[in-house]
Amino acid sequence: MAFHDLRTDYAGRGGPMFRLALRTGVLTVLTLGIYRFWMKTRMRRYYWSAIRPGGLPLEFTGRPTEMLTGFLTAVVFLAFYIGIVNLVLMFFSFSLFNGEAPAYAVSFIGLAPVIFFAQYRARRYILARTRWRGIRFGLEPGVKGYVWRATWWWLLALSTGGLLWPVKTFALEKYRTDRMWYGDAQFKQTGGLFSLMTAMKHVWLGAALIAAGTLAAGLSEEPVWFVGAAMGGVWAVLGLAYWRAQSFKRLLEGKRLGETGFRSHARGGRIVGIYLTGSMAISAIMSALLFGIGIAIGIALALIDPALLADGLEDLSSLGALPGWVFPIVGLVFYFTVFVLWGVLREVFITMPVARHLAETTEIVNPDALAGIRQRARDEFVEAEGFADALPLGDGI
Amino acid sequence: MTGTPVTYSAFADFLDGETARVERVEVVLAPDRLSIHRPGGGRIDWLADELRALPDQADRRSLVLTRAGDQLARLVVTDEAIVALLRRNAGHLGKRPPVENKGRILGWGLGAVASVALIIFVLVPVMANQLAAYLPPSGEKALGDATYERIRMALSSDMVPVDTCEGPEGLAALASMEARLGAGPDLPYPVTISVLDHDLVNAFAMPGGRIVIFRGLLDEADSAEEVAAVLAHELGHVVGRDPTRDALRLAGSVGVLGLLFGDFAGGTVVLLLANQLINAQYSQSAEAGADDYAHALLTEAGLPPSALGTFFERLLEEHGDAEGLAAHFASHPQMAARIEAALAAQGAAETAGRIGAPVLNAAEWRALRGICGGSAAEDAPESGMGVDRGFERPKPGRPKKDGSIGG
Repeated sequence: MAFHDLRTDYAGRGGPMFRLALRTGVLTVLTLGIYRFWMKTRMRRYYWSAIRPGGLPLEFTGRPTEMLTGFLTAVVFLAFYIGIVNLVLMFFSFSLFNGEAPAYAVSFIGLAPVIFFAQYRARRYILARTRWRGIRFGLEPGVKGYVWRATWWWLLALSTGGLLWPVKTFALEKYRTDRMWYGDAQFKQTGGLFSLMTAMKHVWLGAALIAAGTLAAGLSEEPVWFVGAAMGGVWAVLGLAYWRAQSFKRLLEGKRLGETGFRSHARGGRIVGIYLTGSMAISAIMSALLFGIGIAIGIALALIDPALLADGLEDLSSLGALPGWVFPIVGLVFYFTVFVLWGVLREVFITMPVARHLAETTEIVNPDALAGIRQRARDEFVEAEGFADALPLGDGI
Repeated sequence: MTGTPVTYSAFADFLDGETARVERVEVVLAPDRLSIHRPGGGRIDWLADELRALPDQADRRSLVLTRAGDQLARLVVTDEAIVALLRRNAGHLGKRPPVENKGRILGWGLGAVASVALIIFVLVPVMANQLAAYLPPSGEKALGDATYERIRMALSSDMVPVDTCEGPEGLAALASMEARLGAGPDLPYPVTISVLDHDLVNAFAMPGGRIVIFRGLLDEADSAEEVAAVLAHELGHVVGRDPTRDALRLAGSVGVLGLLFGDFAGGTVVLLLANQLINAQYSQSAEAGADDYAHALLTEAGLPPSALGTFFERLLEEHGDAEGLAAHFASHPQMAARIEAALAAQGAAETAGRIGAPVLNAAEWRALRGICGGSAAEDAPESGMGVDRGFERPKPGRPKKDGSIGG
């Protein structure tokens, strides 16, 4: 059957991504956040088009204006919830328990279903606005079932101390995948409920090492055992990368689209490598930036009062001649420069390389079966991903 | 372009938008159109003016073309010559479709602004006012303690909460000042007065009767009467239960504002706003009410109400008053108006002959200014009180703060 599996190329490049992320990031800050819907759209167009299964790019067809409308819709509902409910909770929390912790707890627990709701709806919007070979993806309506399942599985995963986390991941992914469509073909998630358990093994090993090391150090009062705990910490972090790659691989390979299947060669080691080199590159560039800013400030100070640097900044009174607004402006510009640049570098050195690895290691098995798939109707979905945008959930990619 | 061939042709991938089949087609580029010859024999013409390219594509060497008005069909062209020609000659490749649903965006936008405004300016304050009256004192105290710790942390520059000043003689002076004011009968619960070792020229009242005075204010004050006046003002807030109301209001509004701005700047805006709300704690009517109470209390205690006015006046000279838009957000009512009110109260008190002995003697006042155990008196600007000069009791391990930058 699999005479020619479709390989995936990745066309994203650091330079263009850097320019796009920087330009849209600066515009977002300058517009007090309103441009963020345009930023998101443009970044997604780039990320989607970089992924090219069989040489043909994915396309993101979402519009910034529909995201803005969806966000405004969500604000109307959520403002009421967050404002009034938090106020009332705070009142009861202080009246009955003399503390604010119960209010936060109840507020968060109350918000959790809203977050699951937002996640499913965001997934539906993103899929409805994704195309490949001109054919739309889609997600069936089914948010109610998702919310109670997610609540249940999260409770179970948390109450077992994370032991059932892989089961939760699989169950929720299965719920979403089984409702996912490509054109008129429906996806199916195969594999058992416990099929991700062993993908988590290194995290558990690391956690066990931490626990054992701490316990041994506590019992024997020999601090040398803490070395074992520290090693466990490193092991757990590396184990998370293994989990990320392995769970991605197993979930992807378990997906079926009619006769078509998928294969992944994603490797945890590669993910670790990306995070290591990426964070080193980011810190090197950020240090260089801070150094450059320091020099610029030094030069500016020397221009204002040459004696200032010579005296080792002891007497700052000569700066009193500057208008008062100079300092907050300089501070704000500095803050936003660092903030925006950090976000941009993270896209260039972490997010994109990870996406590249996951894309390039993905193959479509038996792609000939795709030829019979036909277009599906457009899912208007006016609310877009407004709830996910209003609640800072991070990116729903 | 004269003398060059009129048409170019190459192969490209055509996606009809109806099936997932990829058609390998021959495209022929003429000056006014792009013709797509499909393998089945059909031909589609896209006019040059109608050609659009998808924006923000990762692969810069190829073009994903579509036809204006056609949502579905796509043509992926990788041929270098044709891509270059199209980029040069197809005038509207980058043209965007017009924005749809402007009315709906505007409608939801206005709706969102209106609902947020309604919640922040009407619903939350009204509910906060109602609920504040029902909050039991122990709950209020817990709320105040939480706020107090947060402020100590927020003002810290090195992740260690700002020190509380506990010079025993200073505390005794503070206690005698409180006793002299004699607000006891009006208070819903006893007050706790603390001094924080920070340069801010300010004082707060917090829920549950906790009053905080910053060292900067003690440094800046010319006399004990001025500190007493500020203390009387803060007692006025405690009597009015303003801090409780505001803390509840804050709990309701901060989250809503955060919702609106999102995390586009790492929550900076939220932080700035929250900070503004901490500084601008009370509404203008609450401020005026606290001023009125302070005037009455000072007069009752035989202290000059004008001290409030002179202190404000000096702050006004040194720091200016907030005018215009900034004034709208600034916490305290226009200072000029408060000074006038203070002077009027002074006139009334003098007519009634009610100005008595100083609130603190020289030694007590010195102890109060040295309550933080440092060289507060020396850091202070020209105080006009010679007794303070030379008073110094350095405390090891705490770096001297430079008072000249603050304010």
